[in-house]
Amino acid sequence: MKLRMSPQTVLVLDAFLEEAEDWKYGYDLSKNTGLKSGTLYPILMRMAERGLLETQWESGEPGRPPRHMYRFTPDGLRFARTNASANAGSGLGQVAMGLNVLGLVEA
Amino acid sequence: MGMPRKLAAKLLRAAIRLAPPQSREWAAAMLRELDFIEGDWAALFWALGSFGAIFRHAATEWRAYFTNQENKEEQMNETGKKAIGFASGALLALVVSLSGLGLLWILAILFPGLGIDHLEWTHFLGAIVIPEIIFVVSAVLLWRKRTPVAAGILLTGIGIAIHVAVHLATH
Repeated sequence: MKLRMSPQTVLVLDAFLEEAEDWKYGYDLSKNTGLKSGTLYPILMRMAERGLLETQWESGEPGRPPRHMYRFTPDGLRFARTNASANAGSGLGQVAMGLNVLGLVEA
Repeated sequence: MGMPRKLAAKLLRAAIRLAPPQSREWAAAMLRELDFIEGDWAALFWALGSFGAIFRHAATEWRAYFTNQENKEEQMNETGKKAIGFASGALLALVVSLSGLGLLWILAILFPGLGIDHLEWTHFLGAIVIPEIIFVVSAVLLWRKRTPVAAGILLTGIGIAIHVAVHLATH
């Protein structure tokens, strides 16, 4: 289960770790991480292909188009917790945090 | 709905239509999110980024497909490989010829003043001379490494040339 741990991937994993049981939407993730859609979705796609993320269409109200939702699989949660703790004090975690703080990644 | 948002929706609908099945669900997901993005320009930038992401994802799928095809080709016997090479050469030659004709047709429509329709030499040049030169050059270049493909190109070129010669002789 390999996933390249770029600073952007670390940001996405962190966003999913907040209330990890809840389903999350693409645009909300984009706002929370500051990543643009062109960066965020390839990461989501890779995570889903590697079985780290489960996806589902929201059964929305009638007349309202459903939204695609994402959350960790049990494997994904384990992977994120392991890597988040490994990256927390590392250069990668610092870079990810720095990107967010400096506003270098924006929606 | 402003023009940028309309454009964004059109772009993502096109992505859904054009993407391979594995990428379509993602493109649809990106399109749904448009409704929740505040600001028309933000929606357009979202769509542009999403389109790029879908394109890259689709490219990965296509690359995997072609790699798979190459592996299948490697497992084939020699005759099968030669037949496929010959057929692809013939197909390439036909595509080049038809492209020449198509180009002439487009030029005749775009620039009616040139009178391309009535100039026989333009047909001769665009549909025969230039394609035949391309066939000969590509056949010579490919002969050593991809002989069946080169043979397919050359034989189709000869066939087209004979067809034109017969046409000129009888008309």
